[in-house]
Amino acid sequence: MSKPPRKRPFPRTKVCRFCADSSLRMDYKEPNLLRAFITERGKIVPRRISGNCAKHQRQLTTAIKRARNIALLPFTVPRR
Amino acid sequence: MRRYESVIILDPDMPDDDVRAFTERYTELIKSYGGDVIKADDWGLKKLAYLVKKREKGRYVFFDYAGVPALLDEMERQFKISEDVIKFLSIKLDSEIDLEALKAEAEAKAKEAAASKVAAVEEPPAPEAPPGEEPTAAASEEASVNEPSSGESADQPPQVAAQTEQPEESQAGEPEKKEELT
Repeated sequence: MSKPPRKRPFPRTKVCRFCADSSLRMDYKEPNLLRAFITERGKIVPRRISGNCAKHQRQLTTAIKRARNIALLPFTVPRR
Repeated sequence: MRRYESVIILDPDMPDDDVRAFTERYTELIKSYGGDVIKADDWGLKKLAYLVKKREKGRYVFFDYAGVPALLDEMERQFKISEDVIKFLSIKLDSEIDLEALKAEAEAKAKEAAASKVAAVEEPPAPEAPPGEEPTAAASEEASVNEPSSGESADQPPQVAAQTEQPEESQAGEPEKKEELT
């Protein structure tokens, strides 16, 4: 039997959220915004999933890493 | 002069007075190095994303300030020595900063805020509208509202006056008025 065509698990957002909404500012001091771009395990969501543009993904990673440093975001979320 | 930003996590068991004293101490330190504090903030007690020095919570204090690199060195040296500071993060926001321009901007903003407050107090019916357009808009609104309710004959003079005063403004309003006049 041939394999069924691969399906995407969920539709991805194609437009960078930060380009679409210029009022949205990347800031390590706002962990709740950044939380949308990390996985449950605390990893940074890749660009191909989140749909961010390169420029904003770069800013995002910096912001997330700063937030991690100051304990606003976790480095890892241990498995229970 | 550079612009820096520091987030400091203090011991969660620290009393409020000590936190205030801490803020004041570093404000003075910044000023003694010729810098100035742009914003000092206390974010209060927050849950940490991971344990820091075996503590689950931390007291966040935030500084936005201008200063020379030597100031930052001294601040971080003291943070490391201090028992109360459990973690800190400093970031350079700008390598060149014009303190006076920044102050002027802040003052202008404060003035604007004060002015808008005063306007809101003086004119409670329409506080949101910009002050320049407010009187004319209010006048046209009042005119259109008053016309149907009060007597037809008595109302004619103010309508004419309103039209002569604002011929360019409220073009949509004029035809209505004419219809009501006839």
